[in-house]
Amino acid sequence: MNSRRPLRLRLPTHDPLALVGLGIYAVFIVVAVLAPVIAPYDPTEILFTPNYDLAADRRPGEDGFLMGTTTMGRDLFSQLVWGSRSALLIGLTAAFMVALIGSIVGVVAGYFGGWVDTILMRLADVAFGIPFLPFVIVLAAFLEPSIWNVVFAMALVLWRDTGRVIRSQTLTLRTRVYVEAARVSGSSDLKIILRHVVPNILPLSFLYGSIAIGWAILTEASISFLGFGDPKSISWGFMLQDAFASQALSKGAYYWFLPPGVLIILIVSAGFFITRGYEQILFPKLDR
Amino acid sequence: MKAFSAIGARVIQTLFVLWAVVTILFFLFRLMPGSPLAAYIDPNFTPEQQDALMARFGLDKPLWQQYFIYLGNLLQGDLGESFFYRTSVADRIFALLPNTLILTFSSLILAYGIGVLAGAYLAWKRGGAVEQIAIPLVLTTRAMPEFWLGMILLAVFSFSLGWFPAGGTRPPGADYPTLWSLYTSADFWRHMTLPVLTLAIYAQGLPLLLMRSNMLDVMKEDFVTMARIKGLSSYSVVIRHAARNALLPVMTSFAIAVGYQIQGNVVVETVFSWPGLGRELVRAVSASDYPLAQGAFLMIAVVVIAMNLVADLLYAVLDPRVTRE
Amino acid sequence: MSEPLLSIRNLSIAYKVGRAEVTAVDRASFDLGAGSILGLVGESGCGKTTLARSLTRVLSDNARIAGGQAMFMGRDLMALTDRQMNAHRWRDIAFIPQSAMNSLDPVYTVGSQLAEVLTRRGGLTRGDARKRSEELFEWVGIETNRLGDYPHQFSGGMRQRVAIALALALNPKLVIADEPVTALDVIVQRQILDQLKELQSRLGISVILVTHDISVVAYVCDRVVVMYAGRVAEAGPMAASLTEPAHPYTMGLRNAFPDLAGAAGVLTPIEGAPPNLMRPPPGCRFAPRCPFAQARCTAADPDPVDIGGGHIVACHRWAEAAALRVRSGQPDTWMAPA
Repeated sequence: MNSRRPLRLRLPTHDPLALVGLGIYAVFIVVAVLAPVIAPYDPTEILFTPNYDLAADRRPGEDGFLMGTTTMGRDLFSQLVWGSRSALLIGLTAAFMVALIGSIVGVVAGYFGGWVDTILMRLADVAFGIPFLPFVIVLAAFLEPSIWNVVFAMALVLWRDTGRVIRSQTLTLRTRVYVEAARVSGSSDLKIILRHVVPNILPLSFLYGSIAIGWAILTEASISFLGFGDPKSISWGFMLQDAFASQALSKGAYYWFLPPGVLIILIVSAGFFITRGYEQILFPKLDR
Repeated sequence: MKAFSAIGARVIQTLFVLWAVVTILFFLFRLMPGSPLAAYIDPNFTPEQQDALMARFGLDKPLWQQYFIYLGNLLQGDLGESFFYRTSVADRIFALLPNTLILTFSSLILAYGIGVLAGAYLAWKRGGAVEQIAIPLVLTTRAMPEFWLGMILLAVFSFSLGWFPAGGTRPPGADYPTLWSLYTSADFWRHMTLPVLTLAIYAQGLPLLLMRSNMLDVMKEDFVTMARIKGLSSYSVVIRHAARNALLPVMTSFAIAVGYQIQGNVVVETVFSWPGLGRELVRAVSASDYPLAQGAFLMIAVVVIAMNLVADLLYAVLDPRVTRE
Repeated sequence: MSEPLLSIRNLSIAYKVGRAEVTAVDRASFDLGAGSILGLVGESGCGKTTLARSLTRVLSDNARIAGGQAMFMGRDLMALTDRQMNAHRWRDIAFIPQSAMNSLDPVYTVGSQLAEVLTRRGGLTRGDARKRSEELFEWVGIETNRLGDYPHQFSGGMRQRVAIALALALNPKLVIADEPVTALDVIVQRQILDQLKELQSRLGISVILVTHDISVVAYVCDRVVVMYAGRVAEAGPMAASLTEPAHPYTMGLRNAFPDLAGAAGVLTPIEGAPPNLMRPPPGCRFAPRCPFAQARCTAADPDPVDIGGGHIVACHRWAEAAALRVRSGQPDTWMAPA
């Protein structure tokens, strides 16, 4: 982990799996951005057939609904398209916050050491003792159910892994000659951190942040499935909850509950494929 | 001696974390918007009745006093009274805990059995065609929402094929007087099959990937080469030496996995209507039954924290280099 | 010398490096008599470890035997199938590794690692294995109650003794010791070497001792093979080869190491480094570093010549050896290589 030369980010062009992952991400980003254009209906709109029947439980293709409708008469295809927007939003913001908090804690603890380090690392111990999903459930339920509270709750716990790793990386950086030299020559701590420490831990922050993307998307899905999600936004987890509550399972409505899960798998495993590729770049030791 | 003081320090750290989580829990539940009794209080109560109720739950005292009362009660195993059931939270929690534990451990034992063997096999056949398919497949199982996998298994094996029941621990009306008679019944195992399978499919990825990468590391060690120079059978080389060494961190991860799994159970128990801690937590939170939610959360946290400790101690027990230092 | 125990002829071993192939051992030949200790010396990367390991036929995945033979007990080791070879491993040919720390399995006691070899390879019962283990520990001077200890509980020197006990477990005819004392301090080195020599002569086994340290060879060996860049430069009886070396490389090595017995003279290193075997120099591979190199040295490979009494040298100027020896004793000879 502590290679002598500074880590640098490159696209993992040598790993076909990582390229596949990047490709999947690109597609999802395009769909998320163009959601209003691609989706034929508002995902929450209750739809009717031309002769004013509720368009409920339509199978794919029936009455012109590409992937069918829900029991409430909402268009599944539109929900899937809009779902990619919430997935990316949740995944990226949570990842950003996790990486940011974890990196700040790690750098501060590792660089300053002493009681600052002790306090921050005990805090990390505590965070490791908090059951993640129950914590997010409780927080999301008690605060206003919204995407941001879910993200906030996740970041409050998940910084721990990033924090620990960044701290140990900072500890080794601190003993390096150029940091020592900068200290002796009287540079301020902030300057040393920004110039010498941050550039070296950035790839690690990036790695841990991208691991958090998958975690966040899966967690949001669980939260929405349990009914503690943001009622205003359509997510894949919400679709699954809707399907489960509307007895789609016993009705054999696979077209309803299969696609959201497949999309979650696609986007989360795309993240795995990319981080696995980056892991090989960052930690060549893992490359066998 | 050194090992003993290290273990002592680790135990003290665990107690500290436990205290911190208990404290966080207290303030988390007390500082929530709305009166904690909102769900409990009948709108027809007179202000006097409401005050009496506040006094009964100790809510009329200052927060710091409430905190110490809470700690004191906790030490006596008193988790308060459920708003919804109007019974002791502790009784309810301890009645549900075995259901959650049996689900967690059965699925993890299955997952580790399969994961360790498959991981060792993949390490042996490294660079082969099996690996090209198996690794992305395993990563995919890690990318699945557990509850979704549960839904698929339910739809296929319960609703479409009718092989397994759709939820619960026993058929309606079936009566098992003791926990033991329930857990040893065929009914129970039929009910448990799908949830266990769901959890195991998700959980096998960790031991598998860990075992594989450890094996690849260990196979490069000198003592494995020496085992070959000694003319030992490939069984001895791969199993007795390489796998035995690679197994250490995997066994340690078992305890960590128990901690993770018991959190993940929240959703899977809900899908399969499994009367466990996780489902109870969800129901209590939905019903604003604060004492019960707090109790269930605390129990889950205790398992997570205890398992973190067990993981460290297990490592010390299993690795002679740590034990006898 | 009667019928040798091991007779290596034109043995070549090559490694695949990327798409290219590197010949790490190039047509090496030498004999090892029964009951003798042979020192295999050279700088790191000269092929001595590869050569020694090839006798167990456990080589890394990218290595292959590119030619030649190694006759042992009437069979060519290099031509055996893996199953046939397994019959010889440890029962006839045992191995003492460079670092016993990494070569002992950390999760088993040393006693159970001895028992493993004794029962699984030697066919002993558990009880007999226990007795034999105690005997072996007495031989190498470790208290028998330490059989229940784990490898990490031993000091470096003790671990090396454990490795010797392991190697002797099944009464092998040949023990290959790969830098057995390199990681140890000089006093412990001497103790281990004394022990090895004593056991070797008591049990009448043969030892190939691989080392970069010519003073170790001088201390215990009765024959020596000097390798340079994959080739045998000089081979012969210890006395002849080290007191009257005929190859300039051996002369240089002799100057570069202190005497294990304690006499410290002026040490003179050989300038430069061994050649990259991907692109070996033309002619004699030592020529670029040799203070006595002439035009013919870079033009053609020197053939091995027997200069008497089994003393073999691969040097164009072997006939002038006596004169070169005198010049090699002067430090400034080695200052600026020709």
